[in-house]
Amino acid sequence: MRRLTRYGVIIAAGLLAVGCSAGASSSSGSGSAQTSTNSTLTISNENGALWTCGFSPLNTSDTLLSVGFVYEPLVFVNPLQNGKTTPMLATSWTWGPGNKSLTFTIRQGVKWSDGTPMTAADVAFTFNLIKKYPALDLTGVWSVLASVTATGNTVTMTFSTAGAVPYFYYIADQTPIVPQHIWSTLGNPVTNPIAKPVGTGPYLMSKCSPQNITYTANPHYWQPGEPKVAKIQYPAYTSNNTANDDLANGSAQWGAQYIPSIQTFYTARNPNFHYWFPPTVNVSLLPNLTNPLLSNVKVREAMSYAIDRNQVSTIGESGYEPPANQAGIVTPTFSSSLDNAALTSWGNSYDPAKAKALLASAGFHPGAGGIMTNAAGQKLSFTVINIGDYSDWVASMQVIQQDLKAVGIQITPDDLSNTDFDADLFFGKYQLAYYDQQTFGPSAYYELNNWLNSADTAPVGKTAASNYERYSNPATDKLLNEYATTTSTSMQQSIMNQIQQVMVTQVPFIPVTEAVDWYQYDTGPFTGWPTPGDPYAQPSAYAFPDNEQVLLHLAPK
Amino acid sequence: MRYALRRLGFFVVTLWVALTLNFLLPRLMPGNPALAMLTKFRDLSATPQTLHALEILFGVNSQQSLLSQYGSYLGHILTGNLGISLSEYPTPVTTVIGSAIWWTLGLVGVATILAFILGTGLGIVSAWRRGSKLDSIVPPTFVITSAIPYFWVAMVLVLIFGLTLHWFPSQGGYYVTTDTPGLNFTFFQDVINHAFLPAVSLLITTIGTWILTMRNTMITTLAEDYVRMARAKGLPGRRIMFDYAARNAILPNLTGFAMSLGFVVSGAILIEYVFNYPGVGYMLLQAVSGEDYPLMQGLFLLITVAVLFAILVADLLTALLDPRTRTAR
Amino acid sequence: MAMPVSGVPTETVGGPRQWGGSAQLPAGRAFARVGRAVRSNRKATIGTILLVIFILIALFPWVIARDSPTQDAYTPQLGISTAHLLGTNHYGQDLFSQLVWGTRNVLIIAFAVGLAATGIAVLIGIAAAYLGGIWDNSLNVLTDVLLVIPLFPLLIIIAAYARGGTTLVLITAITLTSWSYTARQLRSQALTLRDRDFLEAARVRGERKLYIIVVEVIPTMTSLIVASFLTNALYAVLFASSLQFIGLGDPNTVSWGTTLYWAQNNAALQTGEPLWAIAPGACIAVLGAGFALLNYAFDEIGNPALRPVRKVRQMKGTEQRV
Repeated sequence: MRRLTRYGVIIAAGLLAVGCSAGASSSSGSGSAQTSTNSTLTISNENGALWTCGFSPLNTSDTLLSVGFVYEPLVFVNPLQNGKTTPMLATSWTWGPGNKSLTFTIRQGVKWSDGTPMTAADVAFTFNLIKKYPALDLTGVWSVLASVTATGNTVTMTFSTAGAVPYFYYIADQTPIVPQHIWSTLGNPVTNPIAKPVGTGPYLMSKCSPQNITYTANPHYWQPGEPKVAKIQYPAYTSNNTANDDLANGSAQWGAQYIPSIQTFYTARNPNFHYWFPPTVNVSLLPNLTNPLLSNVKVREAMSYAIDRNQVSTIGESGYEPPANQAGIVTPTFSSSLDNAALTSWGNSYDPAKAKALLASAGFHPGAGGIMTNAAGQKLSFTVINIGDYSDWVASMQVIQQDLKAVGIQITPDDLSNTDFDADLFFGKYQLAYYDQQTFGPSAYYELNNWLNSADTAPVGKTAASNYERYSNPATDKLLNEYATTTSTSMQQSIMNQIQQVMVTQVPFIPVTEAVDWYQYDTGPFTGWPTPGDPYAQPSAYAFPDNEQVLLHLAPK
Repeated sequence: MRYALRRLGFFVVTLWVALTLNFLLPRLMPGNPALAMLTKFRDLSATPQTLHALEILFGVNSQQSLLSQYGSYLGHILTGNLGISLSEYPTPVTTVIGSAIWWTLGLVGVATILAFILGTGLGIVSAWRRGSKLDSIVPPTFVITSAIPYFWVAMVLVLIFGLTLHWFPSQGGYYVTTDTPGLNFTFFQDVINHAFLPAVSLLITTIGTWILTMRNTMITTLAEDYVRMARAKGLPGRRIMFDYAARNAILPNLTGFAMSLGFVVSGAILIEYVFNYPGVGYMLLQAVSGEDYPLMQGLFLLITVAVLFAILVADLLTALLDPRTRTAR
Repeated sequence: MAMPVSGVPTETVGGPRQWGGSAQLPAGRAFARVGRAVRSNRKATIGTILLVIFILIALFPWVIARDSPTQDAYTPQLGISTAHLLGTNHYGQDLFSQLVWGTRNVLIIAFAVGLAATGIAVLIGIAAAYLGGIWDNSLNVLTDVLLVIPLFPLLIIIAAYARGGTTLVLITAITLTSWSYTARQLRSQALTLRDRDFLEAARVRGERKLYIIVVEVIPTMTSLIVASFLTNALYAVLFASSLQFIGLGDPNTVSWGTTLYWAQNNAALQTGEPLWAIAPGACIAVLGAGFALLNYAFDEIGNPALRPVRKVRQMKGTEQRV
């Protein structure tokens, strides 16, 4: 008996020893997966799934892996610097009379990664391919384009409308150029995964497995001396925790992650670890304007005043997403467009007393359970749909719920799956919803147009494209359409001021916090990162083609 | 032989029930959940074959009657056509599962075998030494450990050994950027390194049942007449313990092993979740959060078939080793 | 999840016969017998005390937890202090009051599933034993099939299709899938009782089958039925918390599993808030231990062969005695 226990102890000790030695030897480094050699950059961007090793720049699932690394656009437009432009595959461009045509001069001397020269014909081919296969038209450019033709080294685009000016962003910045000599032989470009991408960009895709993609520098890249970072590793993270861990132990240097308690988890570990979250669009409480109680502007105003946006930002979003304003202008990104007159007339954004006064003047008084009721017996009690997967939105909604309760408005959160939420939202089957626009552009116009333009809405029961709250006002439409026809910045600003007046007087929706780009960076091995003082591009690894600009600025120390 | 056929029959029946459950569940839920998934596939420009497969698997948008859907469904499944994964579009479900299955087999296989050996051993010893100090500690301790949620043990181990002491990595199966899977030593070492904490979690939580079941059956076996006879004959204690008692007591344990496999699987899923270990359990939870129903279904079927198969093998093994079961009932 | 611990005879191997000298007691005295046994068995006592504590906490949470569990009212990420016994979490909620108030949801699930699943198990197990023939065969197959299909993955699939379960969905799903193990045990015991003299006597007297089952058989099986209830309650707690933990419960309810879900989502372990993750798990472990201890004790009560042996003073030279 004793002998047996002795054996048992020895075996157990042996197992422990093996385990510990295996553990110790691998972690004797620095506890990190790999100490990055100076010229290998590892990206930490959790995608939730393994890679399928498809690299088509015109397929939404694969764009973030191909555009910016392998493929490039005509012009880089920086949304963080009010649309400042950097010529890429196009060297210059001019608008024709009435802004009904646009001509690009294409850069000479650029080669595809297989050695073939890139010409204006490739550009025209790309746009016409998108026309031929509408599934590839990810930004809807052909809703305004009439024709695209190449002549010599220029490409001329004509438009079917005068209101195509904002589409410059989608045409020049958001359309990657593909090689005609390869894509014309592909068969169906919509379903072809493009396993071996050929582009003009700074990197080649050299190795792909479901767990990791390796990019190596393109030796024939048209910018001399670029790129300076020789190799990029892009692992497929299926969970936030692992992705965050790799950033925290230094094995990944460029993060695009949501990290809870980022100071303790990340920045405290190493003085070289930094983060910056530039705001992009508003996360808003959307009233369904067809709802009789919510169609009363005073009710909406009261809701806006009742919400303590600072608290939502601090508690629900851990302080990462700044509070938004009722004018709908995301600050500091688009602060230059902010109309102070509109904000002053609105007053303090958190004013529960004013909220209660507004409700009283609308004929509501506290009823059973403290819920505001009007003379007809209708209660201010609503359900709000939310995406259950976004735990920070769920947490924010809890704060909003408590804030509204304090002024007598009762809301009940209904946390749905992504698909259910989309369905309810698009068809207008909700009372209140919590959401943000999915697209972003180089000025506040893009987001506000999506919210307010009646061309983007639809009656309840049909799908609304982006105007989910069913807002429709011909005067506002006129303003928005006018904006689209002009390239004059002063005209644009004057229109934006009027739009902000619409926001504070009509309260079509209620911005609460500002969604941000997630971005962490390690200044130990690399310099050249975008920072608040030098916002030369959107800094997230998933933002394209901004990611290319970051890669071109980075250099090993 | 008859016994084997009976067990095989049971295997087939259970498999059929599982397949039918799999078929009926999405159709029974209010507002067929797969309907929304169909739009997602359409957005990905899915081929007509893919869409047709979706019809068969989930009954969305189908013109066929329920019965003919069922027939096509069985046909598809039995020929190994489990559909296309949504989150890994356009990879087929079978390929996606294939990448994860070895991780789980390795982790669960090794941990279960270890737990079985150690647990059975401790159970035997504990039963033999009834009334001793060992026996007074063992049952209560392991009764308690068998009630501890799997994920809690995993979390405690992560906290202590992964995050505080940094002895082992607390995430993943291997370091994806440095190691390539292959028959090289660094890869193996990396794998063992990453598998250590998950395996220990699984070991700690499952060993309790082995110990207790073995102890209980040993105790009842030790009360049998032939053990008393052996003792009367003056055979040495160890010989009685192993050759007479344990050998017979272990058989119900084998059956218990089969039955508890379901729980081992549950534990594996939760432990893989806490450690982000790239096995089928983790993949199932990813599929759930990504609403990738084809992958989810495929994984459920795989897990069920694997468990059923293991039980069948255990049953047949029991029949081989214990003549009593062949004639029992 | 805890795996089933069995000292009770299962189908395939003949086990020890039930030692029931008090088989003729009616229900009332059966419970008294149970009560006495609980008091004398140490495991049972500890288990009962733990359960009673949790029940009291669930019934009167405001007595020990003054703060609201959901209000994000406090400074986030405070450590342990007299004001906040377990500190505050990332959202500024008091962790201790979350756990206290969460006890309700956990116990509701435990008792609801325990009762419902045991009810089904009693019905099916005993009916199978007494009806015999084709009823027995088909119910048996049903039970065995459900026993063998891995339950947790099945629950995951059901909860996934239900798009996020409310507590009711959880209770229903767990009840419908977890009754089979205890049904099997009950059937085994019912089978062994079937040929007992006292039942033969009842049959000869001309009593109807239903009467026999309800008045004679069920009271005899009290301890096993109670053990089944405890088993089912234990599994309910573990399964439900696990489902809530991975996000398939309703994240807006206050429960131990959902607290764990939020902790995991906020990487509590890695960001220096380990209590947020460890404390709810510890609660589940302690409650589970209570159920498990009581359950084990009932095994011993029902099967005296398993009762702890009081070691008798030996003469030198002998190792042990059975």
